[in-house]
Amino acid sequence: MTELMENYNGFLVPAISFIQGYYAYLFLLALFTIGLYAMMMKRNLMKKIMGMSFIQSATIMFWIVAAYKEDATVTVYHQPLGLENPDLYLNPLPHTLMLTAIVVAVVTLGLSFALIVAIYRRYQTLDEPLLLERMQ
Amino acid sequence: MATLELPPRGDVTAPVHQTVNKAGDPVAGAYFIQNAYRDAATPNMVTVILADYRSWDTLGEVVVVFAGGMACYFILRRRES
Repeated sequence: MTELMENYNGFLVPAISFIQGYYAYLFLLALFTIGLYAMMMKRNLMKKIMGMSFIQSATIMFWIVAAYKEDATVTVYHQPLGLENPDLYLNPLPHTLMLTAIVVAVVTLGLSFALIVAIYRRYQTLDEPLLLERMQ
Repeated sequence: MATLELPPRGDVTAPVHQTVNKAGDPVAGAYFIQNAYRDAATPNMVTVILADYRSWDTLGEVVVVFAGGMACYFILRRRES
């Protein structure tokens, strides 16, 4: 006896398919939440930047999961497969956009590290309450 | 949970993977799969989208990287004082 649940199209499917279909989304949601927690609650600026990196990674992987198709191959033209049926290749657009996003993520990380180095040179600390105290 | 309203992982019937959307317009992903090799004669579709269809976007990306590098230089340089 399998439990049945209604999927997003309104069809009844076995409940186990929800774990198979959504575990990646749930894992990435957890990763995003950890990053958000680190950015908001941690006192050390370095750990805040690590949280930002978590959020970027989660977002990028979310798009890559959205590009995945069952039984599809990589987005390189392969003669025997032809080009008429798009279901045979993964969706190339999210991959391209995330390639751009990775480059921008590297730039934001580098820039925030530069700012951290400048802050440390001036105040000799990265701890946020201590930093606010020394800025008075 | 809003996650359960998304198409499941690997679903080929998801709207983003269709050739035409509900309004009858072509969808970008399938269009690129079908026309990338014909338009640019390069087998790798990601390369074609990045450097051909979206080359202005890639130019803007290069500008972002350049601006980031210049900002890092001006933040980190030792000032004479």
